[in-house]
Amino acid sequence: MAALKDVAIIGYAQARNERQAQATEVQFLFPVINEALEMSKIPRREIGFTCAGSCDYLSGQTFAFVMNLEAVGAWPPISESHVEMDGAWALYEAWVRLQHEDIDTALVFGSGKSSPGNPAEIYPLQMDPYTLTPLGFDPVSSAAIQARALLDAGKVTERQMAEIAARSRRDAMKNPYAQVTGEFDVDELLAQPYVTAPLRKHDLPPISDGACAVVLATGDKAREVCERPAWIRGIDHRIEAHQPGMRDLTTSRSTRLAGEAAGVGSAPIEVAELSATFTHQEPILREALGLGDQVAINPSGGALSANPVMAVGLARIAEAAKQIVEGGRRRTLGHATSGMCLQQNLVCVLEGEQ
Amino acid sequence: MTDTAGNATTTSGDEPVTMMEYFMQLEYSDVVSAPVMRFRDALMDARLIAQQCPKCKLVYVPPKGYCPIDTVELDERNEIQLADRGVVTNYTVVTPVQYYGQKETEPFVRASILLDPPGGMLILQDVLDIPVAEVRAGMRVEAVWAPKGERDVDEIGNRSGSALEGSLRGFRPTGEPDMPAEAFSDKVW
Amino acid sequence: MQCVLLGAVTELRATTHTIEFPYTRTLGPVIGSFFTGLRDRRILGIRAGDRVLVPPLEYDPETGDALKPDFVEVGPAGTVTSWSWVTKPTRKHPLDRPFGFALIRLDGADTAMVHAVDAGSIDRMQTGMRVTPRWRDERKGRIDDIECFVPEGGAA
Repeated sequence: MAALKDVAIIGYAQARNERQAQATEVQFLFPVINEALEMSKIPRREIGFTCAGSCDYLSGQTFAFVMNLEAVGAWPPISESHVEMDGAWALYEAWVRLQHEDIDTALVFGSGKSSPGNPAEIYPLQMDPYTLTPLGFDPVSSAAIQARALLDAGKVTERQMAEIAARSRRDAMKNPYAQVTGEFDVDELLAQPYVTAPLRKHDLPPISDGACAVVLATGDKAREVCERPAWIRGIDHRIEAHQPGMRDLTTSRSTRLAGEAAGVGSAPIEVAELSATFTHQEPILREALGLGDQVAINPSGGALSANPVMAVGLARIAEAAKQIVEGGRRRTLGHATSGMCLQQNLVCVLEGEQ
Repeated sequence: MTDTAGNATTTSGDEPVTMMEYFMQLEYSDVVSAPVMRFRDALMDARLIAQQCPKCKLVYVPPKGYCPIDTVELDERNEIQLADRGVVTNYTVVTPVQYYGQKETEPFVRASILLDPPGGMLILQDVLDIPVAEVRAGMRVEAVWAPKGERDVDEIGNRSGSALEGSLRGFRPTGEPDMPAEAFSDKVW
Repeated sequence: MQCVLLGAVTELRATTHTIEFPYTRTLGPVIGSFFTGLRDRRILGIRAGDRVLVPPLEYDPETGDALKPDFVEVGPAGTVTSWSWVTKPTRKHPLDRPFGFALIRLDGADTAMVHAVDAGSIDRMQTGMRVTPRWRDERKGRIDDIECFVPEGGAA
């Protein structure tokens, strides 16, 4: 196999997450894509490949993903693709596409407007259509089953879960894109009633409208336009059985395998941005990736402070890149997830040059 | 219930179960965007407004807040008033198939209307006061507005496009001579 | 239809939309057998090596290998291996009152299946509890031919 081409993140931008945006998805994508391209210093018409991640079911509009392309520019025609997944998987496709010789730049974006629909009724439709969808098995109920398994196994406590929520919301105060921010007392959080036991409101992600865009470039092109590119040193994604009763919910084997393939353990990670959309998923992911106490977890506030579905995983990778490009960090990690109870996981290891 | 071959698809008794029905239904509530809110307000006054790109001069009706050609954002400063008469540039006669959700029963017209300068295209418009068979490209038409007290824009949202029946019922022939195809052949849709 | 949403600064308006798709799905030999069993008040698993998978799959999730249609009757009672308590059911849920969604390992099975538990109160729910199906009188060959599970030795 030929050696892989070096690919780096050289531009990124996010929308300010809102519970209910008056702007349409295309409208709030517009400034995000413009800003990411501007940061990359790559002229729009020189972008070699564009890949997007979104889900038409969120806003209930057929071919919404085609309309989103208007934010990229409708003329001249471009080479583009779309995944009905988080934008992190669009980034993976773009990374693969960049391994070909003919192009050296790519634009990736993810967007989601969740506010028009009811997530508790939409997400059962992505489950097994025979045995799970007809039961209306929703993501909060499935996450609660996973949390219960973790509590029963003694791997986490409800207090630790509340501490994760409080830390995320506190860290999010420094994140201009975050939606749920502020100082919260753990005892007060624990005094709140269960939404779906054993999960309280703070254990759940908010419902968000938002978007994220990332610009990629290969080798010399990245060095030419960016002072300190965030190099993708490893990227991999794995998936597990779709029936939640057919795997151990207290661990994430797919995350561990993706992390190993991406080379997470080959050198210390300084910052990890994890798509732990429920509090109890953070310790599962930390364990699966072997992240010790010295690793800063979700300094952006993570998915608990803003959960723009279809953009939240890409936003984690963008935040991990920001830690290198702007924060001077050496080695960071972005993680994205899909499906219920961490069924599918993507790990992206980023490095800055010394 | 039977499938196309006439076999039973729901089962009782001793037959093996081979099929399953699932009725999927989702409800959405979509906040109306700022440009469409202004468009709705204009419709209540029997006016059509649009946004015009300052670069390429293309006219967007309904306004959507951006020009996808030049990737610039547009707002009320880019707003223009449109004519409410124009020419049929293309049309189709739809013979309704009675699929799930179809409400029409008789053949009906859907026409593309190029409005007089400064322009703007309304697609999928009804053509009124004329037999379906006499509708033609090049025919001059004018807007038929709902009477003021009956005008209703409540159902017009971000995804309505040119479906404006509650306020703009459709277009009717003006009786003016037809326009030659060369006058609009680059704007048939 | 529309509704008025009172924003902090401006009054937002919304339009409502309903999308509907009536699906008719073929079941294939494995899910078809499983659902035929449910119609007949029997719960079938499928053998995958030494293990019995419930609900049955066409393949072994560990290896991806196709499984032979070697079915084995399990349950009907089982043990809750994990659970949640839904305080506000949606209109899509199996029950219209608070209930538990649970992973239930049926007797004779090596994996757990998802279903609802009508326990009446969260206080009656616990990991390891024994449950048994409440069958519908009119069964069509669907997962919800089991209306829900109930605590063994007495319904809520």
